[in-house]
Amino acid sequence: MSTASPVRTTAVSAEGLWKAYGMGEAQVVALRDVSVEFASGAFTAIMGPSGSGKSTLMHCLAGLDTTDRGTVHIGDTAVTGLGDKALTKLRRDKIGFIFQQFNLLPTLTAEENITLPAAIAGAKADPAWINQIIKTLDLADRLSHKPTELSGGQQQRVACARALASRPEVVFADEPTGNLDTRSGAEVLRFLRTSVDDFGQTIVMVTHDPSAAAYADRVVFLADGQIVEDMAEPTADKVIDKMKHFEELVAAAQGEHA
Amino acid sequence: MLRAALKGMAARKARLALTSIAIILGSAFIAAALVLTASIQATVDDLNAEAYAGADALVQPADAESRSEDLVQQGIPAEALAAVESTAGVDHVAATVSWAISAIGDNGKVVGGLAPTTAVNWGDEARERELREGRAPETDGEVAVSAKFAADSGLGLGETVTAYSQTTDQTEYAIVGVYGYAGGRDSISGGTEIAFTTAEAQRLVFDGEDAYSVLAVYAADGTGADDLVAALEPVIGAESQVTSWEDYNAEASAQTAKLTKTIGNFLLGFGLVAVFVSVFLIANTFSIVIAGRLKEIAMMRAIGAGRGQVVRSILAEALLLGTIAAAVGAAVGVAGGAGLTAAIANSFFDAAQVSVAVPPTAILAALAVGIGVTVLAALVPAVRASRVPPVEAMRAAAKTDRPITLLTVSGAIIALAGGGAMALGLTGNLGGDTADLTGTAVGAGLVFVGVTMLTAWLSKPLVGALGLIWSWNFAGKLGRRNAGRNPRRTAVTASALMIGVTLVTATATLLTSVKASIEDYFGEAVKAELFVTGPAVSEVPASFDPAVMDDIRAIDDVDAAVEVYYDIADIDGTDQYVNTTTDFGGIVDLFGGTLAEGDSDELADDEIAVNQSAADELGVGMGDIVTATFSRGTEAHEFTVAAILVDNENTDGWYVAPAYVEEFYTTKPMMALVDVADGADIDAVTAAVDDALADEPEVSAQNHEEFVGEVTVFFDFAIIAIQLLLGLAMIVAVIGVINTLILSVLERTRELGMLRAIGMTRGQTVRMVIVESVTIALFGAVLGVAVGLGLGWALQNALADSGVDVFAVPTTLIAGYLAAAVLVGLLAAIAPAARAAKTNILGAIAYE
Repeated sequence: MSTASPVRTTAVSAEGLWKAYGMGEAQVVALRDVSVEFASGAFTAIMGPSGSGKSTLMHCLAGLDTTDRGTVHIGDTAVTGLGDKALTKLRRDKIGFIFQQFNLLPTLTAEENITLPAAIAGAKADPAWINQIIKTLDLADRLSHKPTELSGGQQQRVACARALASRPEVVFADEPTGNLDTRSGAEVLRFLRTSVDDFGQTIVMVTHDPSAAAYADRVVFLADGQIVEDMAEPTADKVIDKMKHFEELVAAAQGEHA
Repeated sequence: MLRAALKGMAARKARLALTSIAIILGSAFIAAALVLTASIQATVDDLNAEAYAGADALVQPADAESRSEDLVQQGIPAEALAAVESTAGVDHVAATVSWAISAIGDNGKVVGGLAPTTAVNWGDEARERELREGRAPETDGEVAVSAKFAADSGLGLGETVTAYSQTTDQTEYAIVGVYGYAGGRDSISGGTEIAFTTAEAQRLVFDGEDAYSVLAVYAADGTGADDLVAALEPVIGAESQVTSWEDYNAEASAQTAKLTKTIGNFLLGFGLVAVFVSVFLIANTFSIVIAGRLKEIAMMRAIGAGRGQVVRSILAEALLLGTIAAAVGAAVGVAGGAGLTAAIANSFFDAAQVSVAVPPTAILAALAVGIGVTVLAALVPAVRASRVPPVEAMRAAAKTDRPITLLTVSGAIIALAGGGAMALGLTGNLGGDTADLTGTAVGAGLVFVGVTMLTAWLSKPLVGALGLIWSWNFAGKLGRRNAGRNPRRTAVTASALMIGVTLVTATATLLTSVKASIEDYFGEAVKAELFVTGPAVSEVPASFDPAVMDDIRAIDDVDAAVEVYYDIADIDGTDQYVNTTTDFGGIVDLFGGTLAEGDSDELADDEIAVNQSAADELGVGMGDIVTATFSRGTEAHEFTVAAILVDNENTDGWYVAPAYVEEFYTTKPMMALVDVADGADIDAVTAAVDDALADEPEVSAQNHEEFVGEVTVFFDFAIIAIQLLLGLAMIVAVIGVINTLILSVLERTRELGMLRAIGMTRGQTVRMVIVESVTIALFGAVLGVAVGLGLGWALQNALADSGVDVFAVPTTLIAGYLAAAVLVGLLAAIAPAARAAKTNILGAIAYE
């Protein structure tokens, strides 16, 4: 389904990540020595059952959460150990976010929401680039609308445009289709695919939907805080098939680890 | 349901604590006002009871029949004293001579300022005096002074003090003793006192007549007070009256009550303003709390709670909050009232001991108001909450703002009706002055209420416009949009500030206009450049020796100088304001007056002049005869009306020839007008006049500005008092803004998380909240200034006929109000902004 570019550099990488919540008896280990690389210009899906640590992994990669051990790099920047100010600047300049709940500002119009990251940075968004995104997402006649006047699919497309507006190094999408109907979800996924293919955007998407994962170039399976499978060129059937045998995968991985 | 309400309250301690501050303030002011009133009364009663302690009956001059009689100290003649002393059942009599005089301190100024020095005769038994140094005065040239007088005047044993009364010239006395009072006090009620020999005191107070102010009568053993009073009544004569010591004290107590009531009412007024503003705040808090609990309430309804139960549970919460806050308020108020009493008693009354009285009404009123206001304010949100359909529990809370159409339309109707009433009243179309004035006032009140209701509608455009100030900054832009997001909430929050600012702006505008009108008149009509006069606020009116007038007239560049004497005389049975001067025509000319009839020739001894409305009041005209008795006069004189003046505040009153000055209460001139030659250096002339007045400690030369300043000094006090009111309203407003902002921050947690996730810094987050806060506060202040100016303008117009014909805007004060609003916004933003900056990004964006 994808056409991978011939030369690939690494956009995001994690090395030996550990993350635990709570203390003593109540301690839950969310990430257990996770090392993974995401090539630039690729669309990667992270999958796994509830509690597998997929969201934690994404949060750690995006500089939203701290790690207990291990390092994260975005491009050449070492994320681990950065202070709040530097992290904020990193997120602003190098990372785009797409949330399940869209998270648009209700007081701003669609267009203002799209240029929000640039506005926060006190910079002017590149108008040609913004126009191109708007055209691709078919939002031209919705620009002056407030989020409450838009459908869920339109809101999520605005959120996609916002994520891409600052040409970030990587876009993290957290269950982007979780709140959408099938048709709107497919539209959003097609756009993500297009942005990878046409604009060379790097995307890391957390999802539990096999058909969403099928849009990706690669699927990383997580279970109990460990990577249990790395699948290239996924299809929905292959993913479903893999998930059917998930328990065996987990058992194998844990056996390996023990 | 009740348990659920209590648990809910426990979970929202901070917000409830904030709200309760408003209730506490209101209740505390009310309790403090009542405690202070009762305590000062008790303290002063104790102080009063010290006077003539041990005496059984007191003989005083008969009650004055008119104000002019009251002004002059009436005496008990020596014959009455002799008669009392020889009455059966009288053991002995202590005779007191006592009245206010002026004494000059070592700095050349009159001692005491507003409170005059009291002259007494040494050896009376009115108070227990204890000599500390020296001895009692033995000759007419000797005095003993109270310790407080010694301290205030800077004069001590062995030095001389200059003293004089309204009728005597300055005289020097040798200080031979310094005394204090029982209990080691330096003064009674903070007053200064000089003790003379009886003869000298009588010369100062009664113009040398052998008379007394009070006779304290001590009964012989076996004679009761009532018997004594009965025995004395027939012997004292018509000009005196006798009362028992108990009745005398009751009378003194009643006099004090008038004063303490005024102070108490002032504090009560503050309490009521705090309570009024609190209603908005409490209603808002409950709306907010309920909004956050809609799902919970819907769930309760779904599992079978009735609407009544929902209302009751919220009212129970309000009742509990109100009770706790009102109880704390009552306690704070009682403590504050007691502390304030001690402070006042020590600094003003120098009381030996402070009696704190806590009337049960103080606590009951504070509790009733605190609880009542809280429950009433919670009623509307409670009823609204009970209408939540159970299905809300199943839905994601879709927060749709209720439309503000009804509120806006009714607000507009009320404001228009008020405006109409004001317009009719101002144009005099309501028939009759009282109706016009009432109509204008009621209209002003309606406009006020109407605009308060319109705030929600006004908030959209106004908040947007105000926020433009910050639009250069992105965080500011977001803050401004947030401020305009929930018009109803923004409006209620801003209203708390608006009310206070409207009240102060309206009064400040009116008072400034009155001042400006007076200044305007002086600038245009008054010909005299300088005024020789004393402070407007003093117990003994300032006066000076007329001999200095010749010195003033001799100054280069002084074209004319005229002195004026004042008195309140009995004219045809009414109290009237009477002037006299050596130059009738000059005074009319210099004060800018005009004659309607007659001429400005010198008045003959049997002629009188008067302004039009005073003449109309007595129904007299040119050539009619009036009868006048002056303050110190013993006989009535007949005068023929020889001139009538056009009404003019500065020249209103009656004028007689200077021949009657000796019968005036103050036999010395109280003011002089000086006409400076055109083109002369006024400052140089002022200095020369001041030189001429070097030996006159009570008066000085004042130019127009200073003179108007003295005349309008009361307005300055009034304006200051009103600013205090604003300060109080602002404290409540700060709490309201904090409440609203914290709620907004909580509601927008997800939004804040998103903004932080996509790269908004903590600093920008803080700025965003500050802008929202300041915008809301400024919105309230701008509305308040606008409505206040409008009301002030309307009042000024209503009073234009009474001479307030200039509309003046108190620009400095208004700038101050706006600055204060910004400060309110900044203060209120501190906690919410810190909270917003600390938003946990992961928690905020995590799924529900």
